[in-house]
Order: sequence, then structure tokens, then C-alpha cells
Amino acid sequence: MRFVIIGAGRVGLRTARVLREEGHEVTLVERDRDIAERARTADFEVVEGDGSREDVLEEAGVADADALGALTSDLNVNFAACMIGKHNGCRTVMRIDEDYREEIYQKYADEVDEIVYPERLGAIGAKNALLGGSIRAIADIAQHLQVILFTITDESPMKGYTISEVALPAQARILAFGKKEASMGIPLPDDSLEAGDRIAVLADFDVLGEVRQLLVGVETPAAAAEMGGA
Amino acid sequence: MVTAYVMVKANTGEADRLKSEMVGLDGVESVNIVAGDVDFIVKVSVDQPAQVKEIVADHIQAIDGVEDTQTYISMD
Repeated sequence: MRFVIIGAGRVGLRTARVLREEGHEVTLVERDRDIAERARTADFEVVEGDGSREDVLEEAGVADADALGALTSDLNVNFAACMIGKHNGCRTVMRIDEDYREEIYQKYADEVDEIVYPERLGAIGAKNALLGGSIRAIADIAQHLQVILFTITDESPMKGYTISEVALPAQARILAFGKKEASMGIPLPDDSLEAGDRIAVLADFDVLGEVRQLLVGVETPAAAAEMGGA
Repeated sequence: MVTAYVMVKANTGEADRLKSEMVGLDGVESVNIVAGDVDFIVKVSVDQPAQVKEIVADHIQAIDGVEDTQTYISMD
């Protein structure tokens, strides 16, 4: 796919790197000469200019891009870039700087398909590092919905059972499964749960405790602490 | 006649509630939710400059969820 990323700072450049590693085509737009130069040194195609201007985004190829990521720290630039992107038929993703704004943009900004708040993602990582153990939050999907990766331990009540035998609460789904030291894949009903296997679950915050109890059993007090509100 | 534009920054996602509370104030002509580093631009139209201060300091800033305001008096 083809992507246009506005902003080559820490969020934009890192996003561009990940996309490129996965084989996608990325053009960056950056108005600061030094930052643009740094991105060029990393072999990125960079258009120097203001990402809220149509001619600059045209030069970056917005007309035939699949999606546009407005990832600068300036909300006005980000929103204007999304408006131009939407006009050109792109999927648009906008970075915000304070979490309360998520609700406002979701409701009022029709030009923005998705909103990202980098600090929240950083907080999930920090929380996982602090908790350690056999539970890792992967992503907040919605305000009350989270994807969690559990590692089966010797104490897991479900150890030795198969996926089809795991009776999760109604507001939880198994998304992926990986045997110990193997990569994650689509969960099959006959896969058996052994110590060291990993299982990714999408769950409502209300049933997280139940899911954790079922898959991990009793954990250390730190890991058993409230998982919500990353 | 004095016209002023008040930039309002919120600390809540409840934009609708803040908007309707501000729209209901005497002297407030319009309230728009905007993209950018402030959340609302409020247009105030009153007889005396002192009334601008009254609307902003006594009423807008007293609304729960309003973090900060910045007022610009129109010169034309």
C-alpha cells in the first residue's frame, strides 16, 4: 500500500519505519529542514513543506495514497491534512495530544477515520513492564475493550485442556494462539493449552478478572491489580 | 458595541454539554467546536467592555470542564 505520513518526528518516523519494514511505500512530509534531512539519511522519501497545504500533499502523492497519517504535534496541521486526505479518498489517521480530545474528534471530525494518542500506547507498554508476569495488555480497542496476551502457567486452571474446552465469559473471545516459542496463529479447537503457550483474548473490562482467573489462575499481587485504564 | 472572541480550552470530552452551557449565556452570540489546540471559539457581543470580562471570568470559567480561556477584543 501507499502511505503519506505528515511529520517526521519521533511518532511519524517510527511509524514510517514499521510500514516500510512491512513492504509498504511511504512518503514523509516535514516542514523542519533538519528533521527532514534526518529522515532522508534514513533513506525515506521526504517532501519538505507544510503538511496542511494541498500543494505540498499533492507533491507527496496524496492523490494515489491509500491512507494518510497526520502525526505532527500540531493539531491544526493534523486536522487540515486529514481534510485534504479525505478529499483525496484516503483513509485518515490523526494524532492528538491530550486524551480528552479523542471523544471530541470522534464525534465531530468526519474527516478523521481513526485517532491515535501515542502516550496511551506508551502507557500500555510501561504498565506491562511494571507488572511483568504472564499477562500483557496489547491494545485498548475501545474504552471498555482490551486485547490481552496471557501466558499459560503450571498454575493455569485450563492447562491440559483444549481451546474448544475453554469456556470464556460471554464478553470475551479468543483471537489467537501460539505454542511455546512458536509464532501466534489462528486458534484451532483441538489446540491444547500447555505451560508457556500464549493466548490472545479480546475482553470487556468487566470480565477481565474472570478471564485472567481462568487462563492464569492466581497471580502475584502486582499482576492481579486492576488491568483497566491504561 | 463590543465584540470579542474567546478561545476556550476544555479538559473533558463532553463538548456538547460545554457548548450548550455557553450558548445559554447572555451576550454569547455563537459557539463553535474547533479542531486545534483550543476546543471552542465563542463569539461575544455586548454593550460595554466590562461585560466581556463578566461573561468570561464569571460565567465561562465557572463551567465545570473549562480549563482555560483567552480573550481577543475585536478592533473593527
